[in-house]
Amino acid sequence: MKKRTRGEIVLSIFLIALALLYIVPFVMMILGSFKSQAEAAAFDLSLPSEWLFSNYLHVLENGNILSGYVNSLIITVPVTILSLLFGALAGIVISRRNTRVTSALYYYFIFGLTLTLQIASIFFLLKALNIYGTFFSVICIFISLRIPFTVMTFCSFIKGVPREIDEAAIIDGCNFWQMAFRVLFPVLKPIVVTNIVITAIDVWNNFMIPLFYLGSSKKATVAMSIYSFFGRYNRDWQYVFGALTLVVLPMLILFIVLQKYIVAGMTSGAVKG
Amino acid sequence: MKNKKNSIYPLWAIAPAFIVYTIFAVVPIVISLIFSFTDWNMERLYAPEFAGIKNYIQLFQDPVFLKSIINTFIFAICTTILKTGIGFLLALALVKKVAARGILRTIYYAPCVMSITVVGVLFKSILANKGLLNNALSLLEMGELAKDWLASYGTAMGSVIFVETWMWAGFNMFIFLSGLQAIPADYYESATLDGANGWQKFRYVTLPLIIPSLTVVVTLSIAGGLKVFDIIYVITNGGPGFDTQVLSTYTYQSFSLGFLGESTAGSIILAVIVTFISFAMNRYFTKREVEM
Repeated sequence: MKKRTRGEIVLSIFLIALALLYIVPFVMMILGSFKSQAEAAAFDLSLPSEWLFSNYLHVLENGNILSGYVNSLIITVPVTILSLLFGALAGIVISRRNTRVTSALYYYFIFGLTLTLQIASIFFLLKALNIYGTFFSVICIFISLRIPFTVMTFCSFIKGVPREIDEAAIIDGCNFWQMAFRVLFPVLKPIVVTNIVITAIDVWNNFMIPLFYLGSSKKATVAMSIYSFFGRYNRDWQYVFGALTLVVLPMLILFIVLQKYIVAGMTSGAVKG
Repeated sequence: MKNKKNSIYPLWAIAPAFIVYTIFAVVPIVISLIFSFTDWNMERLYAPEFAGIKNYIQLFQDPVFLKSIINTFIFAICTTILKTGIGFLLALALVKKVAARGILRTIYYAPCVMSITVVGVLFKSILANKGLLNNALSLLEMGELAKDWLASYGTAMGSVIFVETWMWAGFNMFIFLSGLQAIPADYYESATLDGANGWQKFRYVTLPLIIPSLTVVVTLSIAGGLKVFDIIYVITNGGPGFDTQVLSTYTYQSFSLGFLGESTAGSIILAVIVTFISFAMNRYFTKREVEM
């Protein structure tokens, strides 16, 4: 094995120390979730004098964490599927037709990348359409926010796929749907993964849109229920830490398992964006 | 011939994306543009009256609004410099074969997949008066540095900037890493043959070829920083007082107080700033990219 230089050793020590600083908040959170009220409020890295698993029972009974998970799924799954589907179809057609109309449409969609959220106007629109406070409205808003990115990534990616593939499929008797889903989607897999990863993480973590437009606490997503839980229990840090752990751990495990796809997806998404 | 080929791709396939995007993203900005010139408020939701540029004048006479513009820029500029700088340094370090670099990369990256409410609440326990940070300071016998971090403007603003950096530096690191790994090794070899030292290799090989990644990172960070809402809302909620209010939290606050006209005028100002700066940044950097 190659001998490491002194500089490399110093660098390694520095990087590991920095990584420990990244981990410390999570260690405090997990340890704190098993402590008594007084111990948790001391905010340190000591082990709990008694491991109180009952904290989690309290959180599960009062925290709406599980219903938060259900609500987040109700929103995230349709948004991820539909924005991918709509954006991909639009991207494929816009890029392949390549006429004046479609290039105007391309810029129309791309314009959305710089848009900022119009809080009051969307509120008015939802009231006027009589869909304020519904999952449906929030799903539609999320889809409209994701579509510019999806259209752009599909447009740029499909340029690298030879047209002959499409034409061969049509000659073999495919219709447009079969060509898009059976022939093109497998070729487009990297960009499909990118879009799924970015949309799912973005929508799952989003706090603004559910906060503005869902209204009732029954429909609270995970991100919202954590925030309102903290509001109600800001003196009971053992419960807050417990609720945080219930939200962070599944996410971390999922991240570590799917790390390859998530990192590749998010990075290539950013580079294309 | 071209038309015949185009008929494979039916125009109606664009329709779903077009309809949802138009109704929920484009129509609201049109509504904002029109209604920002009215006396729109919650009681007159459906019957606003034309009021000229009154809303805009009122905004620019409101010291909180002016402060929130300044804060928005401070936040965007500081976080962009820190996220980009730290992300780049981490990438330079981790592109080398240091020990445990896979695990280190994972750890630095992990915060950005987390929900901001989770991160925000967690950092409240660190930054609180008797929080982890102050405890650590007194343990290191630097107790005099301990303070209530979120209770005064400077440290509160510094705290949110720090948390944002903590979340996104690792994400930027990965963009730079993929940029660094794309630089062919023989560029460095020929530089070595030409007698270049480490600094010269960095200055004349790495730096010019990393500009595309830099464009991406800086443009994303600036736009994200200007639009910032949730991290401020969760950690300081614009406080203490209105000290750390930014444009998004300001427009949300005037919206929830029922001042819809002012809120939309604020949104329009933010939209103009974001669009203008994003385009300017992109043009500036695109000119400086070199072909590999």
